[in-house]
Amino acid sequence: MTYVVTDNCIQCKYTDCVDVCPVDCFYEGPNFLVINPDECIDCDDCVAACPAGAIFNEDDLPEEKTKFLEINEELSRVWPQITDQKEPLPDAAKWDGVEGKLEHLIKEAPEH
Amino acid sequence: MALKEKYAPSEKEAAFLATVENGKYDRDIITGLKKFMAGTVPQDMQDFYSPEELDAVKALDGTDRDVQARMPVKITRHYFEQARNSKAIQTLVKASPKETYDLDGAEDPGKQMTYSPVEGLIHKYELGLIYVASTCSAHCRFCYREELIAKKEITREDGTVAAKGLAQIKDIVEYIIEHNRLVEENGGRHPETNRERLREILMSGGDPMVLGNKNIAQWLSALAQAGIENIRIGTKELAFHPKRFDDTFFAMLDAFHEAYPRVNLRMMVHFNHPDEVLLKSPDGEFIDDPQGGLTWHPDALAAVQEFGNRAWINMDNQSPIIAGINDDPDALRILQREMKRNGIENHYFFCGRDIVGHKAFNVPIEKAWEILNESQKGLSGVEAHARLSITHYKGKTEVAAVTNEPVPGVKGGENGVVIFKLLRGAADASNRAKVTIVGRNPEAIWFSGYDDRVVVDEAELYSMYDIPAISSVAAE
Repeated sequence: MTYVVTDNCIQCKYTDCVDVCPVDCFYEGPNFLVINPDECIDCDDCVAACPAGAIFNEDDLPEEKTKFLEINEELSRVWPQITDQKEPLPDAAKWDGVEGKLEHLIKEAPEH
Repeated sequence: MALKEKYAPSEKEAAFLATVENGKYDRDIITGLKKFMAGTVPQDMQDFYSPEELDAVKALDGTDRDVQARMPVKITRHYFEQARNSKAIQTLVKASPKETYDLDGAEDPGKQMTYSPVEGLIHKYELGLIYVASTCSAHCRFCYREELIAKKEITREDGTVAAKGLAQIKDIVEYIIEHNRLVEENGGRHPETNRERLREILMSGGDPMVLGNKNIAQWLSALAQAGIENIRIGTKELAFHPKRFDDTFFAMLDAFHEAYPRVNLRMMVHFNHPDEVLLKSPDGEFIDDPQGGLTWHPDALAAVQEFGNRAWINMDNQSPIIAGINDDPDALRILQREMKRNGIENHYFFCGRDIVGHKAFNVPIEKAWEILNESQKGLSGVEAHARLSITHYKGKTEVAAVTNEPVPGVKGGENGVVIFKLLRGAADASNRAKVTIVGRNPEAIWFSGYDDRVVVDEAELYSMYDIPAISSVAAE
């Protein structure tokens, strides 16, 4: 059981979730955040914290978003952990609520 | 957007924090009943709930008697394995429609919000209690912090309505330093509350042990740096997932102790029933340990022994007495004996609080006293330190005695009286050790069950609500 970040985080990345997560189980890509399913302890705190409403309990995932379960699992193993809140992406407000953002997901890990 | 200003650790704290590593924990948590209903839980968990049990809970979903909304359902793999052979601890974690038969109760039992000067801090007694996590690895159905865990909105002192928030290090440190500055300037007592300086903080929640080592370490060092001498961690993780207490955790504690050698750690552990730690034979009996006592689950024993190896750490157990779980003198006798043998002091047993739905869990006060008293027959003096406590707005109150000899002229007195004694008063504890005596009411599960039969009220448990004692009426 875990919580899952879904498409409306893409291009927004508000990171309010990172601030409330008690176990630091968020991992950060260039324009998306994911939750490591093994580290998540199901506290539910991030759901209310996300300004974009992008986070769901695995059991409450809408049918069309179930693919994000796998995406979270896969990317949390390659992306770096994020433990502090930061500024959202510059056009976050513009992208919030836009349909079909999955095609904009950048999977490459950021350069170090 | 303005980011929240975070606590800035001192150089000394930063040096300690740089040594801390987070461990990885595979708790295999199952949250909610959906997977049990869909049959997607592991094969050996399929019959943990019967189809009838699942249907009964499901029928209440979305109604005002919704059991899952009252308290989210949650279990770890380890606890499931212990629960398989124990009806008592199945009752502790399994959702039941009984929980919402009677929704009588208070949304903020103990009126904790009255004593909350800063979000996430309760400063009622001499110590401060902070909420650092809003979940546990598994959920006790009888949890009295259900409003925090289930994120319910409650009414604040100022009339606003909001969910309880968690403590932030920066806010708490500032409060401690300011409180202790005022105390010092005023010659050792706080000018308003008359309290001494804050020496002790209880980290609670939820369970602080769901947090990573780094997060716990930040709290420990920040509290120590702010002048706190004793830090408590309230946890049930020894029962839910004892592997959490791994090498990385103890390495963190050892590094903390090296940095702050005069700060004590008090692990406030929570075992309700011996089935949570002991192994059983195939016929359901506890197994004698040929080297003494009974055989523990090796993971729980290893963690308890690691704590025991560190002289600066104490362990104390406290547990409510809950109907259908541990309202059993024989189980409690074994629990107290095994705790003490393994270095865990038996601190308090509690009467259940008047949370919403408490009638499904609470044992009548006089019955709870009798159960604990019965359980302590046959225990040695050091094994029988635990007292029965019930939390009044005024402070922690001991159910000191229940008598059987008739007391004429008192309602309920034909059966005897109950003697309450304030153990810890709020604020400066000026009313410590004061006594209240009431006529018996074997049905009473809360103080209100005695409203019409107060005999002596030196502790003012009733007069604060304008309920007179017979003694004061007679005097007038």
